[in-house]
Amino acid sequence: MPQLKIPSPLRAYTDGQAEVAVAGENVGQVLESLIQQHPDLRQHLFNGHGELRPFVNLYINSEDVRHLQKMDTPVKEADRLMIVPSIAGGLEKVDHSAIRTNQALIIGLSILAFILNLPWLVAAVALVMAVGTVTKVPGFGFVYRLFLKPRGLVKPDVLEDNPEPHRFAQGFGAVVLGLAAFALFLGAATFGWILVWLVIFLAGLNLFAGFCAGCAIYYWLGRLSVPGFVKMPPAETFPGMRPKAKA
Amino acid sequence: MTLIIPQSVLDRIHAHGEGAYPEEGAGLMLGEIIGQDHQVSEILPLENVREAGARYDRYQLSPQDYLLGEEEADRLGVEMLGVFHSHPDHPNRPSEFDRQWAWPNFSYLITSVVKGKAVESRSWRLTEDRASFSEEILEVGEQVNS
Repeated sequence: MPQLKIPSPLRAYTDGQAEVAVAGENVGQVLESLIQQHPDLRQHLFNGHGELRPFVNLYINSEDVRHLQKMDTPVKEADRLMIVPSIAGGLEKVDHSAIRTNQALIIGLSILAFILNLPWLVAAVALVMAVGTVTKVPGFGFVYRLFLKPRGLVKPDVLEDNPEPHRFAQGFGAVVLGLAAFALFLGAATFGWILVWLVIFLAGLNLFAGFCAGCAIYYWLGRLSVPGFVKMPPAETFPGMRPKAKA
Repeated sequence: MTLIIPQSVLDRIHAHGEGAYPEEGAGLMLGEIIGQDHQVSEILPLENVREAGARYDRYQLSPQDYLLGEEEADRLGVEMLGVFHSHPDHPNRPSEFDRQWAWPNFSYLITSVVKGKAVESRSWRLTEDRASFSEEILEVGEQVNS
């Protein structure tokens, strides 16, 4: 049977064994065979969605299975398999001044669009938010980065936080605002402006009360094990609320 | 749970963190496991292989370096006890990212390095349910005789 080498931190779950005999025709089956023998390993090898955790590397005869056929990589009798940890860590930081600048401009431009009845301005704001979502930055963050921060008009507010929920919130806002613009262009004025004001309200809730509704939805989707929503809220922070810890 | 470490070894860890500043420095700790306690006898300062620009707030050790660590532990007849790393201009408390990437049963020694000077180290272990870290007692002493 193939042998699977177990790294030090996991040997407490394999009765101290540094090598375990495993069965299976591919890597996925081999891992399942390992976990059947030692079930406590599951949560350290796999996340809540059944995916191999990113810091777990599996090597077969000195090749990383991610460069082969991943879980479908065939395993032969004489193959030598190894679980090799990626050791990593560090800070997850988000500059909330960039996010607040983004919200202020979204709110300001949307209100201006309402007052002057400019559906194209609504569409433009939605587009900037969409581009920001795809490029993983606050859409109007360039205003902070290129003008406000260098001139000392807005100071950085770097907190220990996850960027993914904010990205999701912006994307959600972009979709709603995009729908609003679409409705306005089609002549559904009431519906369109109600959607605009929904985005203004939610951005205002974030800017003035520190509650990011989109972030809260992200964390709740994570709790429901929806694939792709993997981050957990920072310690001692209610999902969606602005964290306290400075980075 | 206690991490027992000779002063001379801790000094080397601090020196590594100061040398890496303003980037994060990291390495492996080797020694004996005595019940719930970890007794450090040797360290392996390693390269932070994150790309330039990302090393200010992230560290990563290569799988090859990890395997070297396991081989060294086997050669010395000791165990791999955990990881040390520095937090430049940041408290020596594990972050959310640290938690997501942490391995069970390892001691995580974190050194706060402020303006180039190592200030203090604290040590942590991931809880069994992976939800948080528990701080362990850091016992710094004279060189331990094996």
